[in-house]
Parts: sequence; structure tokens; C-alpha cells
Amino acid sequence: MSAVATPVSPMLVRLAAEKATGALLRDHGTLYLVDGRIVHAESPAAPGVDVLLTTGGRLPREGWDEAVDRAGAHRAVGRFLVDSGRLHDGELEICHLGAVFDAAFFALSPTSGPTRFRYGVGHWFGTVRPVSAEAVERETARRRELLDAVWPYAAVDTAPVVPRPAAPGQTVGARRRALLAAADGKRTPAELARLLGRPAFHTLLDVRRLAAAGLVATPLDPAPDPAPPPPLPVLPVADPDIALLRRLRDALEAHL
Amino acid sequence: MPGIDECLLEAMALPGARGASLVDWTSGLALGTAGDSPVGCHETTAAETAELARSAAEFDTFGARGESAGNDGLAGAADDDGPGGGPHVEDLIVTTRAGYHVLRFVETSFDSSVFLHLWLDRDTGNLALARIRLRDLAERLVLG
Repeated sequence: MSAVATPVSPMLVRLAAEKATGALLRDHGTLYLVDGRIVHAESPAAPGVDVLLTTGGRLPREGWDEAVDRAGAHRAVGRFLVDSGRLHDGELEICHLGAVFDAAFFALSPTSGPTRFRYGVGHWFGTVRPVSAEAVERETARRRELLDAVWPYAAVDTAPVVPRPAAPGQTVGARRRALLAAADGKRTPAELARLLGRPAFHTLLDVRRLAAAGLVATPLDPAPDPAPPPPLPVLPVADPDIALLRRLRDALEAHL
Repeated sequence: MPGIDECLLEAMALPGARGASLVDWTSGLALGTAGDSPVGCHETTAAETAELARSAAEFDTFGARGESAGNDGLAGAADDDGPGGGPHVEDLIVTTRAGYHVLRFVETSFDSSVFLHLWLDRDTGNLALARIRLRDLAERLVLG
């Protein structure tokens, strides 16, 4: 398991090689690089560090907001959370790394949209524990394979999670039981992740495991493509930051 | 203390330590590694130990004291999990002809699923000491 055979993003490989600093904008998320290493990632599909920390009550929402207010301008929110005694180093690293790999998985998902790199752009969260672009690439590829190895029906990833009755004597672990309990037949895996304050990939994986065990329904049709958005016309615009516009659109639609 | 790296370095200072890592048992991701992997690849070791840890964390047999909760008739044990939904299992020990493996669950107060894995040489390692120190390290990693 050395180099990835087909890179998930050839552009990311190139940027890592040239030790670039800036933001890599793609359809489903953004990766932030410093000297070619990934220091942060975000995606509309993945709950951010704030959701992960506040949902379970680890951090009050006001504590988070204050950290962003006071340290956001210096791009050192993560550091501030530790220095002000709100979090311990280990907690910050565990939570942030989890969020970075989670968002990167979605940011690097296959897309037909354009990929852009903005040199010099940083993220207000600041650097916690940089990871190599290669490690993120490899992990993203591994995660895709893992999902399909568990239950090769991607339709369950986006459909509402509908629990099915258990067979007599069938058991399920505490984490997945909590997931089933929150599944009201309407919420999608992404919504459940946000509700439970868990990484989105972990939720997808648990949903696939539950579907494989027959405890979650697998939609028969590959969810009749929700009217696939007509291929965006490529307009001759001066500065077509289409990736950004599409992410904005996705974010807005997510709040509909 | 300490972040992940300091924690793993301390684990590696134990007698007979050959490799250490912090692994997420839902996804199989290694959040940090130190020393060697028994198979020459920390990522493979992380994915494999994660499966073992996940089984232990989720099997009813190792869950709470036999109480079961209903959810569409689903039997289940550990309903009084910690705030992070951490398992009741504290650690796992696997003994091989050449070594010891200690997997210690890390309890966080936000939702997570991580454990420390320490690989020890059978001849020079001290399993009892390693188990105690790993418990201590797992606490200090998140409690400071």
C-alpha cells in the first residue's frame, strides 16, 4: 500500500509536490494546504469541528463562538481553544483530524466540476496537525473501497434511512443503535450525522453496515436521480468560479 | 500533556515497545503512528486492529451488565454509555508467540471511537506495566 494507483485528485498531488499554500476548491468541499500539507478541510456534506464538539455538549456553543471571535482573525481558533483551557491538546487533535479526513473524503469525491486553487488563502481555524496530501489521498481511496466492501449499494448513502425490524435475537452495537433510534424514516445519513454530532463518513459506513445486516432498507432503484441538475452550461464568464458557486448553491439548498 | 505524538512517544518508551498507534475503530484510520507495524504498514495494522476493537466494543457479551433495551425488538446492552458513547470494554490483549498487543479504548466527552494500540516484544515487554501505563496515557491524552 504505497502510492495510490490513480490519484483521487491529480491537482492535489501536483500542489503537494510544489509545496503549495492555499485553498483547493472543488465541487463538494475545500482543502486548505500549507507548504503542500493539508491543514484543514471542509465540506457541506460533513459536520464541522464546531458541530462535533458542541452537539455532545463537550463545548458550549458560546465557548466556540467566543473562540472564533477572538482568534479567527489570527487564524488560530484551534490553538485558542486549547490555550484558553476549553479543550485539551489530544481532544483537539482527535476531533480535528477526524473532521479533516471526513471533509476531505467528500471534497475529493468524483466530480465533473472544475477544481481551482487559490494561492495564499488560509483558514481561520488555523493549523493543528498537518497531514500529508498523500495520506489523505490514500485514506480517501481506502474509504471508498471500504464502503463498497461492506455493502455495494451507494443508494443508501443519500436516501432517507428507514429502519427495518430485527430478526429474532439479532443484536446491534450501542453506536448503531443510537443511529437507528434517530432514524425517523425521513432523515438522510448526512442529516443523522449532524444530529448526532458524528463524522458523516462514519455515519455512511454505519448505515451501510446496518443495510448489510438487513436493519436498514436498501432502496431498490438507485434513487431515481433527483432530476440530475442539467449539466451546467459553460458560459464565457470573466471569472467563472463555478466550484464556489455550486458549493454556495448546495449550501443554500441544504437549508431549504 | 500532550498531543497524539507525545502520547505515542511515551508509549514507545515502555520496555519492549515496537510500535504504537492511535486508531479510529469505526473507520480504521490511524490518527497517529510511531515505531514499526508488525506487517510493515501502519495503515493495514490500523484497519485490522480496528475490526477487532469494533467487535469487542459492540458485542453484547462485553457490554453492560446484561440489561437490554428495546428498539424494534433489538437486543442490546450498553445503553448507559458515557457521553461519548464509549464502549464498556477498557482494553483488549492479544498474545502471540512473538509479542503482545494491547488495545486501550480512549474515552472522550465528544462523540468519537478511538483506541491506543501498543505492540510489545514478547521477551522484553512487560505486559502488566504496559497495560497500566496505557490506561494512564489514554486518560491524559484527553484530560490533559
